[in-house]
Amino acid sequence: MRRLFRARYAAPAALVGCVAIVGLIAFSPSATLADAAPTTTLPVLTTTATTTTPIAQPTQSVSGALNYAAPSNQTGLFYAQLPQAFIAPGEALFAANCASCHGPAALGTGRAPNLQGLGAGTVDFWVSTGRMPLANSSVQATRKPPRFNRLQTLEIAAWVQSLTPGQGTQVPIVNTNNADLEAGNALFTLNCAACHTITGAGDALPGGAYAPSLHLATPVQAVEAIRSGPGNMPHFSVGNITNTEARDIAAYVDGVIQHQDNRGGFGLGGIGPVGEGFVALLIGVGALMLVCFWIGDRT
Amino acid sequence: MIDKTIDRSLRWLDDRLGIAKGGRTFLDKIFPDHWSFMLGEIALYSFVVLLATGVFVSLYYIPSAHEIVYHGSYIPLRGQRVSEAYASSVGLSFDVKSGLLMRQAHHWAANIFLGSIAVHMARVFFTGAFRKPREFNWIVGVSMLILGIVNGFLGYSLPDDLVSGTGIRIAYSIIESIPLVGSYLGTFLFGGNYPGNGIIIPRFYILHVLIVPLLIIGLLAAHLGLLVKQKHTQFGGKGKTEHNVVGTPMFPTFIAKTTGFLFMTTAVLFLLGGLAQINPIWQFGQYQPYQISYAVQPDWYMGWLDGALRIMPSWEWVGWGHTIALEVFLPAVIFPGLIFNIFIVWPFIESRHTKDLAYHNLLDRPRDRPLRTAVGVAMLTLLFMVFFASSDDVLANFFQVPLVAVLWFFRIAVVIAPVIAAVVAYKICNEMRAAEGVGKRKRPQIVTRSSTGEYSTTDAEPRPGDGVEELDAIPVPTYIDLVPPELATGVGVRRVMR
Repeated sequence: MRRLFRARYAAPAALVGCVAIVGLIAFSPSATLADAAPTTTLPVLTTTATTTTPIAQPTQSVSGALNYAAPSNQTGLFYAQLPQAFIAPGEALFAANCASCHGPAALGTGRAPNLQGLGAGTVDFWVSTGRMPLANSSVQATRKPPRFNRLQTLEIAAWVQSLTPGQGTQVPIVNTNNADLEAGNALFTLNCAACHTITGAGDALPGGAYAPSLHLATPVQAVEAIRSGPGNMPHFSVGNITNTEARDIAAYVDGVIQHQDNRGGFGLGGIGPVGEGFVALLIGVGALMLVCFWIGDRT
Repeated sequence: MIDKTIDRSLRWLDDRLGIAKGGRTFLDKIFPDHWSFMLGEIALYSFVVLLATGVFVSLYYIPSAHEIVYHGSYIPLRGQRVSEAYASSVGLSFDVKSGLLMRQAHHWAANIFLGSIAVHMARVFFTGAFRKPREFNWIVGVSMLILGIVNGFLGYSLPDDLVSGTGIRIAYSIIESIPLVGSYLGTFLFGGNYPGNGIIIPRFYILHVLIVPLLIIGLLAAHLGLLVKQKHTQFGGKGKTEHNVVGTPMFPTFIAKTTGFLFMTTAVLFLLGGLAQINPIWQFGQYQPYQISYAVQPDWYMGWLDGALRIMPSWEWVGWGHTIALEVFLPAVIFPGLIFNIFIVWPFIESRHTKDLAYHNLLDRPRDRPLRTAVGVAMLTLLFMVFFASSDDVLANFFQVPLVAVLWFFRIAVVIAPVIAAVVAYKICNEMRAAEGVGKRKRPQIVTRSSTGEYSTTDAEPRPGDGVEELDAIPVPTYIDLVPPELATGVGVRRVMR
């Protein structure tokens, strides 16, 4: 009788199983062309609006005489001439926050490198990602909330640029509205995925360095990094990656990498089979062992 | 009336096919009730799910490396030249109703199939269920494990995405590293030099969907057939001897329980398939031999092979105009070959060591065989270490430690950790055997305070399950009896004063 009694588990177990399977099949997403379109294109459209305005707004408010050429649909990438009015406040900010390591003329000291000739774009990348001012002199500067706002950052960049006019990486204006995501995908896979991983999650590199995650990078920062090659990253000149291609990569990072199409459930961190293995062994096999324990004899 | 109809039709079948004899054996098959005997069933039912979802997936998958232009619904890939295999896998995920669920459930089922085989195998090993007369079934099981790993790798490679393509590239290098025949073997398998004109995808496909599954099904039939013929093992205890099997019969009880378990397994696999993303190939893109992503690992069951490759120092032998890439050959060919051969011959190694040639239907408790348990723990530790070494880059990134430090940690740990784990396991086994009442439920003490402030303790009422005999040590013939004769109270049982 006691053994027959154990069979009482079978009916609810079967019921739960059937309901789960039927439910999952019935409600599983059926992706169609119409479904897919907004999920992949919308992020690109919305993020470009926010990322291009911060550069344009302060410059226009400071000096109305500035005339940027409107980003054309052919390249979508332009390099801004920072206004003269930025240079004086930039010098003051540099003297107060940067000069103690980089020297009053940005020529570098024993502790920090020479900044002359690197250009406004390089300075903008390091300061706007919060890497500068440096928290500690570890192997690699880490991304953290920036100390300066957008205007202050550009002022510092303008002053450093004014020391060597025309040299180095300029601050780009990136319009990703008409970017080619297909080209961005192909270029990213070819040039970036080997270190930043195909999902942009980043990974450790030899020698204590690491390729940072791209999940916070703005299109402007992406282009600046491509052009200036911060830290261990190689730099890509216009001969390697054209302005249009840089724009496409930035759009892919901003639109696809940062708004990953994570259909199929929880993304498990985008680190591939490591996360999947843990889920399979701990949750999958673990849950089924608990079921064994539930319906089996424990003594 | 219905009874009579069933009776008549069964008799009709019995007259022609003789089903009564086999049917009686099957329906009366006794299954011991202990929960750990159901671990193998997880693998069995995962395999059933694998077959069912695999059929669905194969309806939409095109096994061809032929290049086409992608026009599906995933926008970043549109207009790119991809293989038909990759395009159909992405199409299965995005453009087929419940296709992604089926593909993910298939992948999770593969991971859990092999995971449950590993757990089942550990149970069989640590309880000594592989001993005479079941050595043959142990070997059949190990063969299924090997075939399962191979088929998992083949299936993982079929979508032709960037991550799995990297795996095929590594597999080609491993084949090439075999001395003398390696390059010929690689050319034979790939139909030329790597990547071999796209012939590898259809070849992997036919292996994955037909040849290897057929072998697994054949071995599975042998596995279960031997199980019925030799009958189940069981843990010792009251009323259980070498000459009986105590448990529930297949019909009517166990068949209800095991059917419920089939549905539970299916439910867990499909829940994972619907809720947890696995292998999002659309994010990875088409495999090109000149492209690579970082943070690429194989599925978990290949992880120990990948990890061994990663931590191997770069040794090479050059002579007589030939190069032997020991850095690949040792960890990727010799190491797994050695491990699987140890698995296969272990029953014979042990019986030679113990000179134990008797039939065994009663299982050992792991503590009663400290040496075997220690060897098993050492092997598991070694495999876990190389398994974790496979994710060295992810670990370095996650814990923000240098990659080289992680690498050297694992190089040292694969040598040291198994030894430490074996010694600890051996000591724990002996201590557990020495102390009385270990593993038994303790009776609670009730503390009462009298009106004069005096405290006294009494035993609580017995609860259901107290006094179950199964956990009492039964005399087992030990082959590593370290117990001084004066302390031994029975064979394999020792009592020490606290």
